[in-house]
Amino acid sequence: MLNESKILVLGLGNDLLADDAVGLLAVRELKKQQISDVEIVETAEHGMALLDYFIGFDSAILVDAIQTNSVPVGTIHEMDESDLSEVFAPSPHFSGLPEMIHIAREMQLDFPQRFKIFAIEVEDVLTLGGKISPKVRDAIARVQPKIARQIRLWKEDLS
Amino acid sequence: MAGAKTLDNLFKVDPPAAAKKVREMMYNIFFVEDHALHFYFLGGPDFVVGPTAPKGERNILGVLGKVGLEIGKEVIGLRKQMRDLMVSVMGKAIHPVFGLPGGISKPIKKDEQQKFIDAANHAVEFGEFTLKIFNDIVLKNEQYVETILSDAYTHKTYYMGLVDENNQLNFYDGKLRIVNPDGEEFAKFTGSEYVEHLSEHVEPWSYIKFLFLKNVGWNGFEDGKDSGVYAVAPLARLNVSDGMPTPKAHAAYEQYFETLGGKPVHQTLATHWARVIEMVYAAERFLELATDEETFSPDVRTIPTETPEKGVGVIEAPRGTLFHHYETDENGIITAANLLVATQNNAARIAMSVDKSARALIKDGKIDDGILNLVEMAFRAYDPCHGCATHSLPGQMPLAVRIYDSAHKLLRELKQN
Repeated sequence: MLNESKILVLGLGNDLLADDAVGLLAVRELKKQQISDVEIVETAEHGMALLDYFIGFDSAILVDAIQTNSVPVGTIHEMDESDLSEVFAPSPHFSGLPEMIHIAREMQLDFPQRFKIFAIEVEDVLTLGGKISPKVRDAIARVQPKIARQIRLWKEDLS
Repeated sequence: MAGAKTLDNLFKVDPPAAAKKVREMMYNIFFVEDHALHFYFLGGPDFVVGPTAPKGERNILGVLGKVGLEIGKEVIGLRKQMRDLMVSVMGKAIHPVFGLPGGISKPIKKDEQQKFIDAANHAVEFGEFTLKIFNDIVLKNEQYVETILSDAYTHKTYYMGLVDENNQLNFYDGKLRIVNPDGEEFAKFTGSEYVEHLSEHVEPWSYIKFLFLKNVGWNGFEDGKDSGVYAVAPLARLNVSDGMPTPKAHAAYEQYFETLGGKPVHQTLATHWARVIEMVYAAERFLELATDEETFSPDVRTIPTETPEKGVGVIEAPRGTLFHHYETDENGIITAANLLVATQNNAARIAMSVDKSARALIKDGKIDDGILNLVEMAFRAYDPCHGCATHSLPGQMPLAVRIYDSAHKLLRELKQN
């Protein structure tokens, strides 16, 4: 059995900027499932300010918006830590994450050893007060089982 | 916090003493962690690592290499401790949700007081330690001091900041005081009177509205008494204050002005030193409020009964004075809002600082990475992340440097990112 709250699910985004809210809405939906031993957090912060959120966790799942313009809107990208440096034009909330992980490891902080990122392809992250696009909203339901599956895999791995 | 104060003013309600003390204590906790972030992580690469150090070293890892991993852990630990307190009381560390017209949403329980006192003592200790770091790494380095004092980073402008009834620094409340380039008081007014003192100037090349002193007038991007350009934030706040209200910060304040040749200090890069002194003040004020029994009183709300019309609130944000101004209908629905944010106050002086440092440092069209960084430092002293300050997406700084000859012929263009 995993220790209490060693898995973090972090929803990133800005709910004032149309599709940029998708990470927040996805984890808010996940909270309704009342998954045990998992801490679910929403934040509008990014970069180094995220460091505090990760301390004390073994594993972390990030849910965010991304705009690569290379796949249909609503597509769910799945990335591991090893993919981060190869990601082109990630969302602003990813900027600094590889550097942050590097710093945490360098400083031997109690930091997650495993990361999983679900990034939903969006079309509008600039309209202040804008509504979330229908295709992006649909992705919120589709990302739930993916997050739940990842949590289950990690739990099984540690049991 | 500015929004909560504006709501008090809008609904014509005075919060109970405990509510004001909790707000001010939480606000000083925020200053401790935000100034720590700015000094170590955002400004540190310039000063702790060095202004012309190789680009690959001018980052947080470079700072940690210079100050040591243990100190880095201490910075992260302190910030986490402060932010945890903020989340526990205010709901969120950024954009807190506990401010209500007439007070706050919940009191802090008496049995939590010791936790706040312990954290405050830790913050004071950390502030003093940071002053020592600044002294050892920056002030003992002749080249850094020469850079701070150089004319390339100096502007003789007006300064503005909040002061208490003794004309000493306060981040949460008080009157706005403006001093002229000679350090003499020019104006003192309440936040609600801001329209009589401040005005906005626009330029076709920027979407920032440049604030200036209405009673001096806009006379271009110029230094001196005849120019309405003024500055806010740590450099300005110390210039407008007749001392610091807490002992350790006051001793540091005295050393600061003695070393830099008296008041006012016009050297932009001294802002980093002023910021560390403010961190000490914030920690000491946090301790004062944490040891005050009234801060933990359950009486934290005065229910408003008046019909709202117009409200103005002002606070000192880490990057300078922040005004909120709301107007509403009789149901409290906002019909007009005006926000004057910190970097707007500094915008004209920032433009002047970039111009002056570039002219002083770039010679014969020759530039390198170190020189570019020295120019960037001119505005990073005011605000470390201009991309965030101007809400520019995607969060990177689209900096372009264009080099012209004396006939205004474009010689070269460099772009970041």
